Amino acid sequence: MAKPSRLKWTLSIVVCGVLIVAGVKYLGKAFVPSHTTSAVMRAKGNPGAPIRVTEFIDLECPACAQGAKYLAQFMANHPGSVRLELKYFPLKMHRHGLEVARYAECAAREGKFWPYHDLLLERQANWSRLMDATPAFILIAGEVGLDPQRLNICLKDGSVDALIAQNQMEGEKRGVKSTPTYYVNGKMVVGINSLQSELTQLLNASQK
Amino acid sequence: MPLKSNLFILLRVLVGTLLVVSGLEKLVSPYQNFLYVIQNYALLPPFWEELGARAWPWVEFFLGVFLVLGFWLRWVLRGVMATFAVFIFVVGQALVRHLPVTECGCFGDLISFPLPVVITFDTALLAVTGALYYRLRETSSFSLDQHLSDDGRP
Repeated sequence: MAKPSRLKWTLSIVVCGVLIVAGVKYLGKAFVPSHTTSAVMRAKGNPGAPIRVTEFIDLECPACAQGAKYLAQFMANHPGSVRLELKYFPLKMHRHGLEVARYAECAAREGKFWPYHDLLLERQANWSRLMDATPAFILIAGEVGLDPQRLNICLKDGSVDALIAQNQMEGEKRGVKSTPTYYVNGKMVVGINSLQSELTQLLNASQK
Repeated sequence: MPLKSNLFILLRVLVGTLLVVSGLEKLVSPYQNFLYVIQNYALLPPFWEELGARAWPWVEFFLGVFLVLGFWLRWVLRGVMATFAVFIFVVGQALVRHLPVTECGCFGDLISFPLPVVITFDTALLAVTGALYYRLRETSSFSLDQHLSDDGRP
C-alpha cells in the first residue's frame, strides 16, 4: 500500500493541532462563570457610565500604580463617562500583595477604600521595598481616618481573605495572569498601553 | 539503535516538547496576556505587537509538534534556530536598554525566570538545536521523515 503523501501528513497534523488547542481552550471556557461573582466590588464613577471598567489589581504592582494614575486622570477629564470597579488579584511574586489587599479591603469596609487605595499607590515605591510593610499600612490607615480597633478586628476576619480569594479565583477563571488586567465593557485588556488605546477608541466612537 | 542516536532523539523530543508546552500555554490563555508581554519589550509598533501576540504562539506550538514528530526536520530545525535567535535578540535588547521587564513571559504563568537566566537558557537551546541540525542523520532516527522516505533517509 502506498504511503500517504507528505502534504497529507502535514495537513492532518495541522488540523489535529488546531483541534486539540481549540478543544483545550473551549473546554476550559465552559467552566468559566458568565457573570461576575456577587462579591462586593470596589467601585467609583457614574453607575450609568457608557464605559465600564473592571480592574484586577495587585496593590504592590508598579504598573497598577501607573494605571491608577492614568485612570484617575482620564475620569477627571471625562466626567461621567467611566464606571470603575476593582477586584483584588495579589500576585505571588509580590511580598506584600496579599497583606496590602487585606488592609485595602478593611478600609473598604469602613467606606474609605478609595482614599486608602490612592495613598497606598502614591507611596508604593516606599513601602514595597520594606521587609515588613505593616507599619506603613497602619500609618496610611491613620491618615485616612480608619478606626484602629475596627481595623484590627477586620484584619482577623476570615471573610476578608475569603473575598480576596474569591476575586482571585474569578480572575484566574477569566484568564488573568498579570496585573493590571482590565475588562473594558467586557473586553479584556492587559497593561496601560492597551487600556489607553481601548479607552481612546471607545471615547472617539461615543463622540461620533 | 546506537546510543548516540538515542541521545539526539531525546534532545529533539525535549526541545520540541518545550516549544509545544510554551506555545500551548499561550494559546489557551487570552491572547492579551502575551500581548502585554510583547509590549513590555517595547520593540514593535502596535499593529505588529497585536499580530505577534496572536500568531507567535501558533508558530511555537507547531514547530514543537513537528520537531517531536520529526517531520520536515531540516526546515523545522532552521525555524527553531531562528526562533531562539529571535528570543536572544529580544531579551538581549531589553537587557541592554534596561527595560523594566522582570519576567520573560516565556511560559506564561507556568515558570518565570529573570532575563539573564533566560538569555543563557535560550543560548543553550540554540546550541542544542544547532547540534541537532548538524547531526541531522542521527536526529532523524525514529522520525516521521524517516518513516515516509523510501530509502529511510531524511
